[in-house]
Amino acid sequence: MLCAGIDAGSRCIKVLLFDTRAERVVCAGYAGQGVPQRELAHTLYHDLLRDAGLDAAAVRAIVATGYGRARIDFADTTITEITCHARGVRHHLPDVRTIVEVGGQDSKLMRLNGTGDVRDFVMNDRCAAGTGRFIEVVAERLGVTLDEMGALAGQSRAPARISSTCVVFAETEIVGLLASGAAPPDIVAGVLRAISNRVGAMAGRTVDAPVAFTGGVAMIPGMQGFLEESLGAAVIVPAEPQMTGALGAALLAATLHPREEAGPRA
Amino acid sequence: MMALPEKIDLETWDARHAGLRRAGLTEPWYGGPLGRHAADGDERLRALRFDNAPASLRLWNLVLTEEDRLQEHRDQGKRLVGAMKDLGAVPLLAFAAPELVCFYPDGAWWTPCIMECTDGLLNVADRLGIDDTFCPVRAMLGAFETQRHFPIPDLLTCSTGTACDDFTAIARTLERLGHPILWWEIPHRRTPGPGEESVTLPTGFTAPRAQLTFVKAGLERLCAAFGELAGHPITTGGLHRSILTANRVRALAEELWRLVACATPCPLPALEMLLVDVLPVHFCSDPAETQATLQELVAEVRRRVAAGAGVLAPDAVGVYWVNPVADLRVMNLVEECGARIVGADFMFAHARAEVPVDIEPLEAVAQIALGDPMAGTAQDRARRIGREIARCRAEGLVVSRIPGASHCASEGGVIRDEIARRFPHLPVTEIEVPPVADACFPTLRTRIEAVVEIARERRNHALRRH
Repeated sequence: MLCAGIDAGSRCIKVLLFDTRAERVVCAGYAGQGVPQRELAHTLYHDLLRDAGLDAAAVRAIVATGYGRARIDFADTTITEITCHARGVRHHLPDVRTIVEVGGQDSKLMRLNGTGDVRDFVMNDRCAAGTGRFIEVVAERLGVTLDEMGALAGQSRAPARISSTCVVFAETEIVGLLASGAAPPDIVAGVLRAISNRVGAMAGRTVDAPVAFTGGVAMIPGMQGFLEESLGAAVIVPAEPQMTGALGAALLAATLHPREEAGPRA
Repeated sequence: MMALPEKIDLETWDARHAGLRRAGLTEPWYGGPLGRHAADGDERLRALRFDNAPASLRLWNLVLTEEDRLQEHRDQGKRLVGAMKDLGAVPLLAFAAPELVCFYPDGAWWTPCIMECTDGLLNVADRLGIDDTFCPVRAMLGAFETQRHFPIPDLLTCSTGTACDDFTAIARTLERLGHPILWWEIPHRRTPGPGEESVTLPTGFTAPRAQLTFVKAGLERLCAAFGELAGHPITTGGLHRSILTANRVRALAEELWRLVACATPCPLPALEMLLVDVLPVHFCSDPAETQATLQELVAEVRRRVAAGAGVLAPDAVGVYWVNPVADLRVMNLVEECGARIVGADFMFAHARAEVPVDIEPLEAVAQIALGDPMAGTAQDRARRIGREIARCRAEGLVVSRIPGASHCASEGGVIRDEIARRFPHLPVTEIEVPPVADACFPTLRTRIEAVVEIARERRNHALRRH
């Protein structure tokens, strides 16, 4: 049985098709975000099906998640990214007790119970300082790509101190650091550490291990280390961390039509 | 014209109102279609969904006509007392004199929401140096400056002391602008020390007798000022009558909460319950009409409960709600997310507690003032919320932060920790709601839906176990 998960995030749309019988991901893809989320998701979904030689009728259920989930009107239902990330992580790492997800617009910390269900969660979306958007702003200011950020941070000898919790003021601080001759690797490392510290603050006094790190920001080399430093715990980054929400959505879609004999969706 | 309970939009309500009128609906003088308030500038009403009972229409009309009522009172020669901050104590004193009417200018905090910021009240406050780092109750400053939303009171009181530093700063600005204030103090309620005489307050907290005596002395000063304003002293008999009236209103509000919390499906929406909770604070400047409105609502809800009828799906997840929302639309949103509110501390929960009638009236009012959950530590409030969650069997908790409100800065974490300690599996979320929250709706929705999803999973897990 084929099921689809669509994660309509604030910066990127991710689509994933999962074969529940074979227990494997059939195909997955992503597209940069734009205003017409529904159209972007629709095009990406059908492009993936076409490339995989599949017919839309073969897909039994679609679950949409993410910030723009309500706009995905061709999905059977919507489920929050909190539940979907938990389900996606459980598929890869069933023992995980804490998930940190840092996306383009917000960051979340989820605590799971022994069966992998969400027990509690906290979110930061009051400002961009703990999110991927912060990194984007810094990358633009330094003239480097997101892929280069991690490598740059690795060259740092003394990460700069970014004191502001507001991304706009932090950008001003970065301009000041550059003007005072701070090395870009130190600035990048300082920014990654600042984000990790903000996420760490959400965790409160205790963190239940093992910890998984998902979302697009988890793909930036070096972030994992900074997060470990901030949380005081080992952090695991699952395969394709930016697809965890879409994977969870696809797995939850399978529970909408649990019986294999159920007919394909119209 | 009987109709099944449902939530309807403004346009539908107006059409329904016309039908009800043709069918013989009788209304009080402030009755009429809801749409007229929107036409007068209350634009947010167009975005809301309302309960469809005539009793609910009466509730809305009572609340939305307070300004007219105050003006009418003034035209009749009554003197207006503007009470600030205490939420529920001062009106008990003021309504003891038939020449006085009491209202809360604080209520202007909903004006930017109701008028979708076309009122400009927050801009006026900005220009007065009270910007959005303060609680949206700063809209009150704009209302005093523009003199468009309520008549300027003949006497202003404000409680200060234990909570809401931002409110005190706002009131001080008001005083600087030429509106004298009669200040009184509610001290930080503390646990009685060894050997100190202790008093149990109507909200369940305890306090030292000395603190109660202190609050009572402040209320005596208010009474003296009210007596001067009324032209005769405030009598014990007048206070006693005022308390009895208040208790009837409080009992009706409490009865509504009891009915709504226990019934499935939910018989009355969250938005109307928020309005209900405001009434015992100040009676919308008319205690008799408030009582009649609540009686009609209780009768309607009883009918619905007896018929097994409600406004939400039977499987809606019961959540407990902390703090009022600056944008009323969020009360609709919580239900769109699959939840229902089974209990709330909208910061005026103490105005639902019965005022003691077997003790001296001023002492009874002092007990109500000192018993305000906000007058103690955040831990005190959190423990009370925990008891309420157990009582109404809530499956989740939403703590709604008020942007800029000083008490909100850290109480969310305290409440979360206390609830996590007492109910380790109860999902909790914190949200922040500005006066017009449209841009925040996707993130608000995610948090509330996540609470609903977690609570549903717990429910399913419990079912599987059995």
